[in-house]
Amino acid sequence: MAETLRRVLNSGGAAGPGEENTAEAEPPLLLLGGHGSGKTALLFAAALEAAGEGRGPVLFLTRRPLQSLPRRIGAALEPLRLQKIRFQYPPSTRELLRLLCSAHETRGPAPSLLLLDGLEEYLTEDPGSQETAYLAALLLDTAAHFSHRVGSGRGCGLIVALQTQEEGDSATAPQLALLQRYFPAQCWLQPDAPGPGQHCLRACLEPGGLGARAEWRVTFRQDGEMTVTPWPTQAGDTSLHKGSSSGGQP
Amino acid sequence: MRCFISFMFLQESLLEPSVPDEHLLSLKFVFGSSAVQALDLVDRQSVTLISSPSGRRVYQVLGSSGRTYVCLASCHYCSCPAFAFSVLRKGDSLLCKHLLAVYLSQVMRTCQQLSVSDKQLTDVLLMEKTQEAS
Repeated sequence: MAETLRRVLNSGGAAGPGEENTAEAEPPLLLLGGHGSGKTALLFAAALEAAGEGRGPVLFLTRRPLQSLPRRIGAALEPLRLQKIRFQYPPSTRELLRLLCSAHETRGPAPSLLLLDGLEEYLTEDPGSQETAYLAALLLDTAAHFSHRVGSGRGCGLIVALQTQEEGDSATAPQLALLQRYFPAQCWLQPDAPGPGQHCLRACLEPGGLGARAEWRVTFRQDGEMTVTPWPTQAGDTSLHKGSSSGGQP
Repeated sequence: MRCFISFMFLQESLLEPSVPDEHLLSLKFVFGSSAVQALDLVDRQSVTLISSPSGRRVYQVLGSSGRTYVCLASCHYCSCPAFAFSVLRKGDSLLCKHLLAVYLSQVMRTCQQLSVSDKQLTDVLLMEKTQEAS
């Protein structure tokens, strides 16, 4: 769902509708960042964006119920949009697998967006590469099935958020490299120097060869307001994502 | 999957009763020894496309050992140990013989078809976890 995230990030900036509605399916996206980097907030923003498109419900999977609705972008939360977001809380890896494997059993309108927050919490039992790949493949397959049921148009998107470790911790590096093979499009979130009373992030979107790389500055104010501006491009601006990842673009 | 490109020129000849030698050689060049084993699996009707009324589909391949493996072709996954080792961990293979057999079946448009209920399809997708343990 690189394009949906791009739209979310673009819409928070200067006036303008942002990207055109594309008719093709969008690639699955891996959202990466450390603890507290705003992944949940961005996922939720994407959920609201998709819910507002009127194409189908949004399925939001996370291990624990969100303590509070994450800080939101701009306009007030619309109750109608919230109603279209279905939250499910699979408590274990096994339950998540069961949910994905049985996703075709439920009837009714197919989701237009599938979100998973906190993939790392389902990978804590030190899974081997096969289990990790199985979970990644099932996520893709479930989204593909929903797309098939939606029929024509953009189908069902998929965004998965994964918490990455601090630089220097190589424990998750092999898992990350593996997941990057299944999710060619990635968006990295990294803390940026905060202003007074603000929490700033740098969001770097790598669509995996299917579009231009783009960066934004995401700012959370004290009152919870989230604003997004394109990252100013400067000569000599260093790339941010080389830091914590051992896997790069192929 | 890049290897689909290599299937483009093979497609026509693979629909013939016998595959020309030069195409067999090409398959072996690209995919190594998996190629012959994969063709063998296809010949022996070991590839089954399982679908349910929901429209969801999964492939099941009967391996040479008698065990069946689950393959998710669209997202490139096989439950066999060779996939985990050669493809995921070592990265020196693009796919295992079961996935190659599935792709060949798709190109040659020939494989067993099995219709099951939605519930049974869930079990097939889930079952491979218990197969690993047995």
